[in-house]
Amino acid sequence: MFLVPGASVGTLLLVLALAFGGRGLGAALWLGGGTYVAFVVSVAHDRVEPTAPLVATLLLLCGELAAWSLEERWRIRADLSLAWRRGAAVVALALTSLVAATVVVALSAVPSGHGLALTVAGAAAAVSAAGIGVWVARQ
Amino acid sequence: MTGFVSPRLSAYAAIAASGLIAGLALGRVEPVALAAPFLLALVAAVAGREPRVSVRLTVDRERVLEGDEVAASLELSPARSVDRFDLLLHLPPELSVDGGTARALHLRGRETRALELKLRCERWGAFAVGPVLFRTRDVLGLRSWEGQAGEVQRLRVYPAEETLRSLVPPLETRASVGNQVSRVRGEGIEFADLREWQPGDRVRRVNWRATALRGTLWVNEQYPERNTDVVLFLDTFAEARAEGRSTNDRAVRAAATLARGYLQRKDRVGLVGFGGVLSWLVPELGTRQLYAIVDTLLTSDIVHSYATRGVDVLPPRTLPPKALVLALTPLLDERTAGALLDLRARGYDLVVVEVSPVELVEQAAPSSAPLAHRLWRLSREALRWRYEQVGVPVVTWREDLPLAAPLEEVTAFRHLARFA
Repeated sequence: MFLVPGASVGTLLLVLALAFGGRGLGAALWLGGGTYVAFVVSVAHDRVEPTAPLVATLLLLCGELAAWSLEERWRIRADLSLAWRRGAAVVALALTSLVAATVVVALSAVPSGHGLALTVAGAAAAVSAAGIGVWVARQ
Repeated sequence: MTGFVSPRLSAYAAIAASGLIAGLALGRVEPVALAAPFLLALVAAVAGREPRVSVRLTVDRERVLEGDEVAASLELSPARSVDRFDLLLHLPPELSVDGGTARALHLRGRETRALELKLRCERWGAFAVGPVLFRTRDVLGLRSWEGQAGEVQRLRVYPAEETLRSLVPPLETRASVGNQVSRVRGEGIEFADLREWQPGDRVRRVNWRATALRGTLWVNEQYPERNTDVVLFLDTFAEARAEGRSTNDRAVRAAATLARGYLQRKDRVGLVGFGGVLSWLVPELGTRQLYAIVDTLLTSDIVHSYATRGVDVLPPRTLPPKALVLALTPLLDERTAGALLDLRARGYDLVVVEVSPVELVEQAAPSSAPLAHRLWRLSREALRWRYEQVGVPVVTWREDLPLAAPLEEVTAFRHLARFA
């Protein structure tokens, strides 16, 4: 199977990233996502794969937990409340992500060209995504 | 403040962009759904705002003794809530804090948070406490801002002093009144001898018992109490250092101890720092002079130099005639050895306290070059012998001995030399 090497390399990169201070974390997540997309394209030709929101959320969770784990290696005396606050924030982000991805999948069922509101929302989302990309690049 | 984004934010942006492009190219929704959480994380990062936190740093004392603890207080006042505030108090290695000086806190908006750190002063010196290096982050650590704040606080750690029962007595005294019994006879309290009455002697000096026994007038003679000039000669050309201990540290502690001892005895005390950087204090009396000496000692450090220096470079007032010169030296540099012999040749009452570097050197090289080590020790013996040949007492102050031990040796040396 062509999926096995991609998934293996992604997992290996994640382990290496955790071992060597976070380098390659992005590549590991990208490979994980890419492998999933390849699987979906090759297997589910004529239907929408319902596991996509869950996989997306798990990928983000993987990245956040890996980053948290790496930051906990710093020798610093921290307030106990910080861990609780971060944990709550990660859970909130994961839940919101799950909802957002599910909404995206659900919206795909709506026929295209079905009203001005949807077209405006789509255009706004595209502009926002491009804007955020530019902001991240500038930072 | 300087703003940063987490490296994973770039990765999230790349994944989101790839997902959107793949969605468009393949005409499928799954890649877009995959990109959605990462886009959400990017939106969360963009929403973060630069925090404003005012930091105030204070220390409860400006002057402490070596080994003491001093409290450093930090007051953090944020304008609005800060999810995570990491701080690091910048300290010199001579000051330590249990658990380190790095802390991570959550700050509530408009609520001042106080933090107290106990600084332990491990070594003497003049130090700067602060500034505070800080980093604020959003709750997920996607964006951060770094900067420094807090005014630098000055802290003077004075060397720990030893208790001395007696000090090295000078051979000569000055004409001024002090606590040192002079060797010349005159008006004083200490009984010296009896002699026959001479015209001009006061009646109160008549020893009536001796007069009654001998039938003629006899008077008492006394030793007057005088003070003396003491010059502490600190060799800062070279030192031996191992495991955080050094000969210069001990020499500075000894100099502070001796300065206090002699000044309490109403002697005038001066200081000469003889090394890569010359420093001196003209002999003076009093508490102010003690603080001046200790402050000068705090800044004394070993500065390597190739300059050939002799005592000629010192101002004449630094070395008054008949002064007792107490040299604290590890005897590692030929220039100091030559300068001290020069002082002796000029008639100064010289005492050399050798701050032994032998223990430190042995620990550094236990068995690598035993022959070289023996030769080095023999050359030190030869140098000591040179001093003794010109009547200079050289006493070795080992690390495990109190300062009083070598000072007692000096007294014994002088006592024996008198009888020899």
